[in-house]
Amino acid sequence: MTAYEIVYVFDSQVTDEQVEEKLGRYHTQLTEQGGGTLSAIDHWGRRPLAFPIRKRTNGYYVVAQFAAPGQALPEFERLLKLDEQLLRYLVVLHDGEPTAPMSIATRQPRGEDGDDDELDDEEGN
Amino acid sequence: MRRGAKSCPLCESGIRQINYKDDKTLSRMTTEQGKILPRRMTGMCARHQRQISLAIKRARYLALVPYLRRSSA
Repeated sequence: MTAYEIVYVFDSQVTDEQVEEKLGRYHTQLTEQGGGTLSAIDHWGRRPLAFPIRKRTNGYYVVAQFAAPGQALPEFERLLKLDEQLLRYLVVLHDGEPTAPMSIATRQPRGEDGDDDELDDEEGN
Repeated sequence: MRRGAKSCPLCESGIRQINYKDDKTLSRMTTEQGKILPRRMTGMCARHQRQISLAIKRARYLALVPYLRRSSA
């Protein structure tokens, strides 16, 4: 099992219910077929894209964190690629960052992610 | 300003990790056009500079920060 983080960027014309339905479908694939576990979901909601993607100027952002065996990913990503309303997605190794677009100085991390796991990162150098 | 042992601005401010979702902070590390600032401008240590360049590239892909911003002039 490896910890991953995924950011979804949906077309902003997709309704909230559709987003929920899609996420449900993806995550079912991940947890039931793939044997993974989902640890956090954070809906950022609609925000402007820095540049148009497929002629869309706004996106609906969702960040999710999960743990899954690596073999589960190809099938999961295949599902994502089939979805035309998913403008972008990015799966990265999860390194203890919060799900929020946290500004180092200003913003507080939202949701359940405390900052307790970040203190031990000053080792080395 | 202390010079020497630790001059990297991120090390100085005690930041351990750069989050690619933090578009506000990342855009401060680019030029107005959106180019990643070089080490000689940022003065960052190698480790932080690497983290930043990776973070900016991820953020670009997700359209959180632009690849290219036309200068306003």
